[in-house]
Amino acid sequence: MVFNFQKKGLIFDPKQDVNRPVWMNDYAQAPNVIIFDNFVRVYFCCRPKPDTRAQYVSYCGFVDLNRYNLFDIINISQNPILELGSTGSFDEFGTYPVSVHKEGQDIYAVYGGWTRCESVPFNISLGMAVSKNGGVSFQKFGPGPILSHSPDEPFTITSPKLRRYNNMWYLAYTAGRRWILDEAGRPEIIYKLRMATSIDCVTWTRINHDLIESRLGDDEAQACPDIIFINGKYHMFFCYRFGLDFRTNPKRSYKIGYASSSDLINWQRDDSKIAMVPSDRGWDSEMIAYPTIFELDGSIMMLYAGNGVGKTGFGLAKLEGEFLS
Amino acid sequence: MKWKKIGKIFDPSHYNSAQGYDEFAKSPQAIVCDGYVRVFYCAQRRGADGKYVSVPHYVDFNKSFDKVLGLSDGPVIKLGDKGEFDEHGIFPLNIIKHDHKIWGYTSGWSRRQSVSIDMAIGLAISSDQGVSFHKYGKGGPIMAASLNEPFLVGDPFVKYIHGSFHMWYIFGTEWLRATSGASPERIYKIAYAHSSDGINWQRNGMTIIPAKRAQECQALPTVFYDKGKYHMYFCHRDVFDFRDNKEKAYRLGYAFSDDMIVWHRDDSQAGIDVSEEGWDSDMMCYPNVFECDGGIFLLYNGNEFGKHGFGLAQLVA
Repeated sequence: MVFNFQKKGLIFDPKQDVNRPVWMNDYAQAPNVIIFDNFVRVYFCCRPKPDTRAQYVSYCGFVDLNRYNLFDIINISQNPILELGSTGSFDEFGTYPVSVHKEGQDIYAVYGGWTRCESVPFNISLGMAVSKNGGVSFQKFGPGPILSHSPDEPFTITSPKLRRYNNMWYLAYTAGRRWILDEAGRPEIIYKLRMATSIDCVTWTRINHDLIESRLGDDEAQACPDIIFINGKYHMFFCYRFGLDFRTNPKRSYKIGYASSSDLINWQRDDSKIAMVPSDRGWDSEMIAYPTIFELDGSIMMLYAGNGVGKTGFGLAKLEGEFLS
Repeated sequence: MKWKKIGKIFDPSHYNSAQGYDEFAKSPQAIVCDGYVRVFYCAQRRGADGKYVSVPHYVDFNKSFDKVLGLSDGPVIKLGDKGEFDEHGIFPLNIIKHDHKIWGYTSGWSRRQSVSIDMAIGLAISSDQGVSFHKYGKGGPIMAASLNEPFLVGDPFVKYIHGSFHMWYIFGTEWLRATSGASPERIYKIAYAHSSDGINWQRNGMTIIPAKRAQECQALPTVFYDKGKYHMYFCHRDVFDFRDNKEKAYRLGYAFSDDMIVWHRDDSQAGIDVSEEGWDSDMMCYPNVFECDGGIFLLYNGNEFGKHGFGLAQLVA
């Protein structure tokens, strides 16, 4: 069986909203959702205008979608949900991506904190925060990261997805493997999907191996391991790309991959189960990136980022037929 | 404590490194071998961009420390690849003998944009008495920033005592500017971690040595046991104006403990201070205490952070 996701169109691109806050000037990246009674809150990452050196910072915000018509935006966050870190901190220059999880009345957020480096553009570690006001703002657990670099994961720990199953916290993420140079000498990063577990959300134990094999060779980059439990099995929808020439080339840019597991640790990759291709034209004509899958009122929905990994915003796809696998 | 200064025993300007690391001999740290003492130190050279890069070397002394027997051919550990935590320098290197090998705990340096650097602690292992080291893992650190230790995790000093590993190290607490336009300067403090295997460490984000200065940086702890107590030497300085102002420059600090956990600072008992003149008259820093043939010795750097080499003192009371 193949998952038959049908694209429904663009949901949100901040550039098309003249009243957007300045910190939400551009981009809507890496969406993920919390479902409330009457609306679906979509968290994403966005950017103000770049500085004089053309460098961006990234903030997390949200839009609330009418639960019964996801194209109807009923609310936009007026402030970033997280502050940037102080001078020298791991999250001084950005909070991207973010993953949220509701547990009782609290909402937990794991996010990638960005620092700027000299020889490579950035390094990333994961920070954690909690919201006590329904996800409008979050307080960081502390000034430092909850998951940083380790002997086998030397840099760039990012693209987190936080889940809780069977009284255990699971954090799927991507870890930098190496930096490679393109023809212009610009460093590009290769990263692979990894996993850590925790009983308290603070101390994490890495399983310390790649979750899936690479289909495109050693230089395949993998991100966004979004996990959902359906029909007694764990399903992971992620995105992957070639190592170089992926930014605008649809043949080499992000596509959606799929893997399944019975225990969250051992995964079987089978990309043939999903066949979403970029559109002929428009906001998602170059890539389909950073998916998140959720159940809503009996339907299976996917939000994903389009061209420029969400520079053009994020959109919706809906599963047609049964979720069979 | 009372120390007798033996004097400067190594001056890097008298030697040539194979790869041009001819400046500085920082953070000397000794292991005692059969018939000689191997002292690891970090030498520097300037890169094409004019910035210093620091890499560990060693020099061998006879046991009376009055004769250099030989030097390493060049660096004993390679710097990290692009984007790795130790890409732009390794300083200091702490070594312990363990499991018939030499384990080297490194402070890896990588450069940042808004601040000068970040640091994390790595592990490298040598099977040839420290002539060459191989890094543990795939290029990453064993101890990096954590929830309450947000940056600048470095200066490891490890001891294997009573069947487990103990580490004293530093982490950064703040980057501060002297004036609004000035470059940020770092504050770091001494902390403690514990491990059963020397690789996975437990730590709690607490500093363990009370500060003596208002905005004090504490660095390079070294711990030894003598006369029923644990003793720690370290160096401390002001956060600003510490390079040229003698009063704000590095001095040695001292603390003692019964259990390695609770420390009592008392610099007045250190028993050693800057000289009235000469190579260690403005600054003393980067101490390392070791035992050799029943004696207790202290290696340290003097003025200008070790630009002119390192010296030795012996505990006499």
